[in-house]
Amino acid sequence: MSVDRVPEKPLPEGDKPGLISSLKQMPTRIYHSIFRYRPVPQNELEQAQAVADNFFFHIHSAKVRERSLKLKTTFGLGMLTLNVFLILCATGVLLMFYYVPSPDEAYERMQDLNGAVFFGRFLRNVHRWAAEAMVVLAVLHMMRVFLTGAHKSPREWNWVLGVVLLLLTLFMSFTGYLLPWDQLAYWAVTVGTAIAKYAPLIGEDLRYVLLGADEVGGEALIRFYVLHVAVLPAIMFALIGWHFWRIRKDGGLARPTTPQKNEVTPVTPDEQPEYDRFPKTEGKTYGLMAVIPIRTPQTGADVEKQVHSWPSALGRELVLFVITLLALSLAAIVWDAPLEGPADPSHPPNPAKAPWYFLGLQEMVAYDAFWGGIGIPTIFVLLAFVAPYLERRKGGEGVWFHPSRSAANWTFLSIMLLLTVLTIIGTFFRGENWDFVVPW
Amino acid sequence: MNRLEHLEDDRAGAVKKTRRSFISWFSVGALAVCAGVMTLFNLIFLKPRVSQGAASKFRIGKPENYASGSVVEMKEAKVVVRRDGNRIAAISTICTHLGCTVNSTDVGFECPCHGSIYDLQGDVVAGPAPEPLAWYRVGLTPSGELEIDKQSVVDAGTYLEVEA
Ligand code: HEM
Ligand code: FES
Repeated sequence: MSVDRVPEKPLPEGDKPGLISSLKQMPTRIYHSIFRYRPVPQNELEQAQAVADNFFFHIHSAKVRERSLKLKTTFGLGMLTLNVFLILCATGVLLMFYYVPSPDEAYERMQDLNGAVFFGRFLRNVHRWAAEAMVVLAVLHMMRVFLTGAHKSPREWNWVLGVVLLLLTLFMSFTGYLLPWDQLAYWAVTVGTAIAKYAPLIGEDLRYVLLGADEVGGEALIRFYVLHVAVLPAIMFALIGWHFWRIRKDGGLARPTTPQKNEVTPVTPDEQPEYDRFPKTEGKTYGLMAVIPIRTPQTGADVEKQVHSWPSALGRELVLFVITLLALSLAAIVWDAPLEGPADPSHPPNPAKAPWYFLGLQEMVAYDAFWGGIGIPTIFVLLAFVAPYLERRKGGEGVWFHPSRSAANWTFLSIMLLLTVLTIIGTFFRGENWDFVVPW
Repeated sequence: MNRLEHLEDDRAGAVKKTRRSFISWFSVGALAVCAGVMTLFNLIFLKPRVSQGAASKFRIGKPENYASGSVVEMKEAKVVVRRDGNRIAAISTICTHLGCTVNSTDVGFECPCHGSIYDLQGDVVAGPAPEPLAWYRVGLTPSGELEIDKQSVVDAGTYLEVEA
């Protein structure tokens, strides 16, 4: 479509495009060379263009279902995860300007950031709290997807991409954990990577390749750094792009096959399209649709209520982003990211704990090293990957706690509850020698 | 066009088709082989052949520096060197549970992280540790110095006999 989208004032007859008039027109011309529409859309066509013709916005369709924008459909959790990820990228790149991934310097650099560098402490705090938040948000997002049955056909693959994104988020957090090179970092990673050793056959090699040595040291630091600032973010960017593209290709957010009354505009009889009143004779086709083996467009059905992405979806996204930014800024002002003494390989703290999101794992490792550290986690991850292929029965899509899915939901919730309880025990109820303590 | 021409046309088409499919399969195959080889080599690349970290072999001085019955803890190297009479052994202080550094006590070793306790031989007495502490090979260099090799783990109770 190459419509002249923005009415341009034609040059008056006989007017030679002179220097002065070129200069005068330059700002408008520059604007129109970038944007093919007016800054604020004036009608529905321009509203559609504002989304479809914008490189950054065209990930959206021009219109979205009203239902998709309702808070209770998603609680904005996927979007919040994205926002936190973007903020992590921005603050992370800034931190890179001062950080040096070497055992001799890393810790001092962290101290510099905390004290000497203007704005350094704030950026570091935001980065730290955003990292913790991303783990929580991605898990909550996963829970909302499952509990609304949004992972089922045809969205299985997007769920699988999501599981990979969650694992990457955890790995991202874990690699970042080492970088301050303080006691917390050193021992959390020592303990965390030691869990890998319990994997049969590949465990030892896996840990060796990850650390670049037998123990956590300079080699591990540079490896974790490369993974943290280059490899993993690049993979995540690509996968998030794929994740979003799939949402559209899977037909937008999951929703019930028969929409609720308040989600549709009923079609009145006189709006019935002409061809629907044709006599249906066998062996005759009335349109090209009939010769192509795909589902024919629905006619005569009620129309789901849709709104323009501009401004309805984009506006909500802006609000969510501002909320994320303010919440993280506030957290960064109120709470400082932890920084303990410099890493000391000969003095482990008691107890030595992995990062909090692995403490459920560590708690299980305390009961049984292989089953707790490798066996059960592997089963859970595999279950997560195949969940949408196991649950094949149709129904309940887009509905919270649909009665027909209660078995699946209870199984899922039990596993999540178990992991949460184990994580809480590992975090708060384990003291010296991993003995059970009461935190109050 | 007569029938013959048709036939020739078909034959040319068939040749073209097999050529195309050969080129396609060849390209796909070549790409797969390259990808496979590159993945393998890059994985090997990522596995360091020599450790850039602390050397695995290191010298700890002459045997006479170690009195009989002495237990010397080497924090950096994460080993304990013990001399019983004329026998010298090196025991790892890396806890086999999750890799913390254990502390040497009069009756053995204690891990401060999750409370594993080992006896003097490094055998697990209590706690979550699944295996005894590793014993490393102790050797003598030509100049008569003791040398510990952390890459070579030996059976528990393997000592180096030295002259009194
Ligand atoms: C880690 C980064 C992730 C980001 C940035 C992300 C982002 C998003 C966004 C923005 C949406 C749109 C709807 C919404 O906001 O809920 C979405 C939908 C979806 N996500 Fe994620 N997500 C991530 C991880 C995950 C995880 C861990 C899972 C599940 C294991 C998952 C599975 C899905 C599925 C199946 C949909 C489609 C839901 C529907 O159709 O209603 N995503 N994601
Ligand atoms: S690391 Fe020693 S008991 Fe866990």
